Parts: sequence; structure tokens; C-alpha cells
Amino acid sequence: MARMKFLCDADRCIECNACVTACKNEHEVPWGINRRRVVTLNDGKPGERSVSMACMHCTDAPCAAVCPVNCFYTTADAVVLHSKDICIGCGYCFYACPFGAPQYPRVGNFGSRGKMDKCTYCSGGPEADFSVAEYEKYGSNRLAEGKLPLCAEMCSTKALLAGDGEMIAEIYKQRVVKRGYGSGAWGWKTAYRETVAI
Amino acid sequence: MRQDPKDQKDRLGRRQFFRALGGGTVAAAVGVSATPMTATDAQAYDPGQDETKGRYRLTDHVKAFYRTNGYETLKNSTNDAGKK
Repeated sequence: MARMKFLCDADRCIECNACVTACKNEHEVPWGINRRRVVTLNDGKPGERSVSMACMHCTDAPCAAVCPVNCFYTTADAVVLHSKDICIGCGYCFYACPFGAPQYPRVGNFGSRGKMDKCTYCSGGPEADFSVAEYEKYGSNRLAEGKLPLCAEMCSTKALLAGDGEMIAEIYKQRVVKRGYGSGAWGWKTAYRETVAI
Repeated sequence: MRQDPKDQKDRLGRRQFFRALGGGTVAAAVGVSATPMTATDAQAYDPGQDETKGRYRLTDHVKAFYRTNGYETLKNSTNDAGKK
């Protein structure tokens, strides 16, 4: 069984935020919530790097481990989803997640933040596929349509990879073999001079 | 001042009452602790097999995604991906 994974090729990401915009538009994510965001390290300095981050759909998800109402579940595709009907908005998952994936529609204290919202890997939620309830709570279900997450499909530089973990690992591996990685990558010295090494 | 023997009898009665009450509480506690635990372990939410089934399919759409992402580097594997 294929395991769904994201992989962001930091040598290609140009911080255009198209993945963020595509996600918000596709799922009609409410104001204040970004299921995906681009994090830039050493912004403005030689060798800066940008990485597109969202829920990484962990194998042993810490969010699920700390949830007091056990609203998380993992699908056969290894996608970590949750039920908004069961979520109480306590915020524990936000503190447990190493990627800052869980988001809340309101700012507030315990229990007043509203239902948690996070990346669903474009695969909806526990409601019936393509139902109105599923779309309103979780957004579109592209995986059931035979497609992949829109953030990856929209990526102009092909930095964000999504799909079968083995397949995207093979794509990334062959990229690295061909072009090198970090300061060994093709064009690195032209862009960052020889003095900058990562 | 000496107390009326009748009052002493009442006081003893009151003490006996509380002693009996304490004994009863202990007995009740023992009874509760002796009851087998019926609570079950916490279970993760299970929406059912239909909702947790795999939805990923290697459609032409997905193959095109792999092919374009592996452009010029995945030439050898593109055909393999299509066969999977």
C-alpha cells in the first residue's frame, strides 16, 4: 500500500507562496487559518532557504498521541485526519506538533478557539466522499478524485512533491544525483559565490 | 463536676454511632475496590472501514505529475511508474 508523503525540495523553492494560496482557495479555508505556509531561513542573506510546511502526516503522530478525545485517525494511505465533530478545540495538538500544523479559527483560551483545522492531504474527512458536509468541514477530496494535493500540483518550480513516498523519494534522489545538493548543486557558485557553503 | 450517668450512656451511644459509621465507610471502600474495573482503554476514533480505506490511485493524472516532476532526471523510471 502506498504511503502518502510530502517532500519540499529546498533547492527549488522560491518562496512564491503559490502552494499556500492554492490550498486556501481549493478548500475555502477561513480567514486566519493557513493549512500550509512557507518558512524562510536566513531571509535576505546569501544561502537563504525556503521550505513549504504543512501537516507531514506522521507515522506515529504526536497530535493523535496527546488528543484527549481521540479525534484523530489514520487512513490506509497513511494520511492523518481528524473529526471536527469530536474535536473540542483544546489546543493540545498544536503544542505537540513539531511542524505547527494544527490551526484554529479563533484566538482564545482553552476551549474557545473553535475546531482544529489542518492539512487533510486533500482527502476530505470522515464524512461521505464529495458530500457537502465534508467540503464545508474539511475541503475538497482530490485524492478520491484520483488526483494529488493541489499545493504540490500547483508548484511552479516543482519544489513541493507529493504522492507515494517511494516514488517521490526516487524523484528527489535522482535530482540530487544529477545536480548535487546544497553548495554542490549546479549553479550554486554563480548564485552565491564560492565563499558561501551549506 | 460529675456528669449524669444517663448522659454518659448517651455519649457512648454517639461514639458508637460514629464508629459504626466509620466502619461502614471502610467496608464500602473495600467493596468498591474489590469490584472489577469495567472501564476500557481509550480508543482512537474509528470512522469505519469505508472512510479509512485507501483512496490513492495511480491514475493518468498522477502519472503525469510524477513524469513532470521527474523531468530530465526520472527518464528511466517514468515508464516504470506507469507500469506500477
